[in-house]
Amino acid sequence: MGIITILWEKWVEFRRDFYKITLAAMIAPLMYLVVFGMGIQTMSHGEPYLNFLIPGVVALTTMNGSFNAIAQNLNVQRLYEKAFDQVMISPTPLWQFIAGQIIGGSLRGLYAGGIILILTAPIETGLIFNGWSFFIMFLNGAVFSAIGVVVSFLAKNHADVPRFSNYIIMPMAYLCNTFFSTEKIPGILGDFVAVLPLSQTSQIIRGISAGGSANFAGIGILIGYLTIFTAGASWFIYKKKNL
Amino acid sequence: MIETKNLTKTFDSFTAVDNLNLKIESGEFFGLLGPNGAGKTTTISLLSTLLLPTKGEILINGQPLTRNRPDLKRKISVITQEYSMRQDMNMDEIMEYQGRLYFMPKKEIRRRTEELLDFCDLLKFRKRTVRKLSGGMKRKLMVCRALLTDPEILLLDEPTAGMDALSRRQMWNLLRKLNGKNLTILLTTHYMEEAQSLCGRVALMDHGKLEEINTPSGLIDSLGKYTVDEMLPEETKSHYFHHRQEAIEFLSGLTGQAALRETTLEDVFVERAGRHLSPS
Repeated sequence: MGIITILWEKWVEFRRDFYKITLAAMIAPLMYLVVFGMGIQTMSHGEPYLNFLIPGVVALTTMNGSFNAIAQNLNVQRLYEKAFDQVMISPTPLWQFIAGQIIGGSLRGLYAGGIILILTAPIETGLIFNGWSFFIMFLNGAVFSAIGVVVSFLAKNHADVPRFSNYIIMPMAYLCNTFFSTEKIPGILGDFVAVLPLSQTSQIIRGISAGGSANFAGIGILIGYLTIFTAGASWFIYKKKNL
Repeated sequence: MIETKNLTKTFDSFTAVDNLNLKIESGEFFGLLGPNGAGKTTTISLLSTLLLPTKGEILINGQPLTRNRPDLKRKISVITQEYSMRQDMNMDEIMEYQGRLYFMPKKEIRRRTEELLDFCDLLKFRKRTVRKLSGGMKRKLMVCRALLTDPEILLLDEPTAGMDALSRRQMWNLLRKLNGKNLTILLTTHYMEEAQSLCGRVALMDHGKLEEINTPSGLIDSLGKYTVDEMLPEETKSHYFHHRQEAIEFLSGLTGQAALRETTLEDVFVERAGRHLSPS
């Protein structure tokens, strides 16, 4: 099965860069938690702000972990190392390559999010993280891995992926229900931000962590995004004449 | 058998390959020659589905080749002009990745890797990452990788570029041996002596178009087996003759510096394409 081959390739990379990957996954989210959660002690909806913040930071960490694991790596393989040619030429069905990238990216996102959960475990917040939380983290990772595949195929040079990250991923990290509720963003912009995948993920994880059940409408939206971007990635790999 | 029918590839308004019609028989050693920008690499990229044609089709044993035909892709191995490998993987990992992509059993991957790395004198470097290999070693590793999967068709895009003379000769011997086992080989090269020594037939390409197909000796015969080089103050002018006696007579009539030699494939190409080839 080609998916296993791609996961093996991701594992080789993970094993080699274990310390770098782990540290990179920890630093930014820890800073957010320390500065916004513990440094600036505030309350939100009658609870410590940290209770609002942790689910948001977990969501954005899975997003960053998955997107960065796929977009940059695939971009380098395609445009510079040309190692992507090896896959294109091989008999591995290309849909399996896409699926492998998405699953591999999700696992990297899940790993990054899991680290945050472990690091915040000693803080007595009373937040609940269960199987549904991990499923949502995985699904969020899958959405952003699929976006990462599309972005890497669209990139024309090495700088395009960081550029996309600056223009799209970073604003999402701050605005999508992570540090504050999207209800505070006025008008149509608020409605738009609220339906973005990271907003949905933050909302669902936060709901579960507060003792609620998973929001199936939100899960549906995430699956919708995953379908669209997976279809986009498949179109590129099967149909684009000059990949 | 590889067949291309009206194969065309355009990039915006530039036509890289223009209505290419080729038929390469099973077990043939076929050379694709041309100057820079002739369309050789684009043709290899089309044959390996890295690029999709703007028009026309590619048939492998009569079946249309697309990105969605793993059964046909299984038969093909490619050595690209650039080092297309993960820089941070070591040799063993590069080979295992290739084997896995071709669904080879793990035991078989290990056995073949050992055999091929040993044959190419790379065994002692197997744990070294690609980033730390010399150009020649990378090229050899690409050959090992391509042969790992036991292909029926081998596409080689300037496989000896950057190799020293000894490694090049070793590569030629290896390719001859493989062709002897009925492997179909399509080779692009800038080195005319390489094509002359290895290929059963060659095609001359220029500006994306097929100029001529023939055996190397057929091409040489069509120009004349003997060449007299006349050294003029600004250039060397070559004159071609079918018979040695004619060439000697012409030579004796010249007043300046001149030399008689056998015509090479490079002469043919220079005459056909109107420009001198140099390795790049």
